[in-house]
Amino acid sequence: MSIQALLTQFGDKYVQALFTTWKLTATSFALAFVLGIVITVMRVSPVRPLRLLAEFYIQIFRNIPGASLLILLVYALPYLDMIFSYYTCVLMACTLIPAAFCSEYLLAGMNTIAPGQIEAARSLGLTFLQIIWRVVLPQALRSSVLPLTSLLVSTMLTTALASQVPLNPQDLTGLVSYINTHAVGGVTAFFISAALYCATAVVIGQIGSWIDRKVRILR
Amino acid sequence: MSEARKEILKNESGNTEIPVIELRNVNKYFGQSHVLKDISLKIRKGEVVVVIGPSGSGKSTLCRTINRLETIESGEILIDGVPVPMEGKALAALRSQIGMVFQSFNLFAHKNVLDNVILGPVDVLHRHRKQAKEEALQLLARVGVADKAAKVPAQLSGGQQQRVAIARALAMHPKAILFDEPTSALDPEMIGEVLEVMTSLAKDGMTMVVVTHEMNFARRVADRVLFLDGGSIIEENTPEAFFTHPQTQRAQDFLNSIKEH
Repeated sequence: MSIQALLTQFGDKYVQALFTTWKLTATSFALAFVLGIVITVMRVSPVRPLRLLAEFYIQIFRNIPGASLLILLVYALPYLDMIFSYYTCVLMACTLIPAAFCSEYLLAGMNTIAPGQIEAARSLGLTFLQIIWRVVLPQALRSSVLPLTSLLVSTMLTTALASQVPLNPQDLTGLVSYINTHAVGGVTAFFISAALYCATAVVIGQIGSWIDRKVRILR
Repeated sequence: MSEARKEILKNESGNTEIPVIELRNVNKYFGQSHVLKDISLKIRKGEVVVVIGPSGSGKSTLCRTINRLETIESGEILIDGVPVPMEGKALAALRSQIGMVFQSFNLFAHKNVLDNVILGPVDVLHRHRKQAKEEALQLLARVGVADKAAKVPAQLSGGQQQRVAIARALAMHPKAILFDEPTSALDPEMIGEVLEVMTSLAKDGMTMVVVTHEMNFARRVADRVLFLDGGSIIEENTPEAFFTHPQTQRAQDFLNSIKEH
């Protein structure tokens, strides 16, 4: 089928699929970001069990393939009497893994902060959480805009996992499978989805670079 | 020296005034090396104590143990008669009463000058932001950098950054300020402007512990000079007596080595 024909027949579905992909991406990235911050704070906290727990988290979720994690969430959790919708399972997979990477990037960002600033904050009487919140995180975030932008793009690509479970409406990759079982879309159907992923990624990249220039810290 | 401080110093003998800072038999190790050996020290309100000594003598470490940026292995440190707590909120609260000025300025790189100064007052002392800003601007004027309030640290010279750091310490209304080699990272032409601010603080009666290599400053401003070597206080005297008649060979050697260049 030509692009023209595909778009005529499945145009609405592509739009829906694009929105599904965007929604999954935005939601899971937002959750991964918050979780990533929590894990990073745990990793630098003075409480050893918290540090160990956070390291354990990183080792698990940085090293597990997304598809394996999704299978575990869908098929293993019910044995623990935890049954989530397919959408929630995809969302969890797309949150738990990027959160580990988010934490790695934030930790790298923290390492750019001169230790003297932490000492200055301590000598002013700030508590651990105040130092994290007021001095460390703002600087770590501002110096990790570019890696976090890449993480947002890779989170979007990870949401293609949604094609492995029945969803309605489907995501961009899931839609291709749908089209190819209901019509003969062939590679062209993939091409349209790929173009939509790429276009989104380019926009994300541009916004990321713009934010980076705005917030970069003069040293 | 201010009249007020002369009065305080006159009462030195036999008074029962609680020292602002007191160290009792403090010992500190870095691994095997014994960097502070049984240090005992009292610093009275309004007193300016200058700590000098060769590099590696433990003078910076001594300064940093006072607000527990360095832990100690034994002994006791008291601020206004209260032992410095080991950790947590109690330690943070006590630290807020002692200002500290570092060799490398350590301003917060992501905050402008004004926000650097008000962070402590707003977040630790819970002052109103507006009130804190007004006072911060006065302090910045006092140290001569009022026109830099909206700049970030990287846009300032070293001397200006250090004066902001002093304003940041002052904004907490500290009982004392610790200066850990405040001019050692500065270009020669900027040392004077920082020492000038410190001299005026001393005149206003601020209690100060100053680790420095600036012998002229020590001579002019100090009430007492401590000479440290190998982790011990070797000599303790008025600047006049110390610089003209050092009691020990080590102090004599140290002073000679400085004079040579």
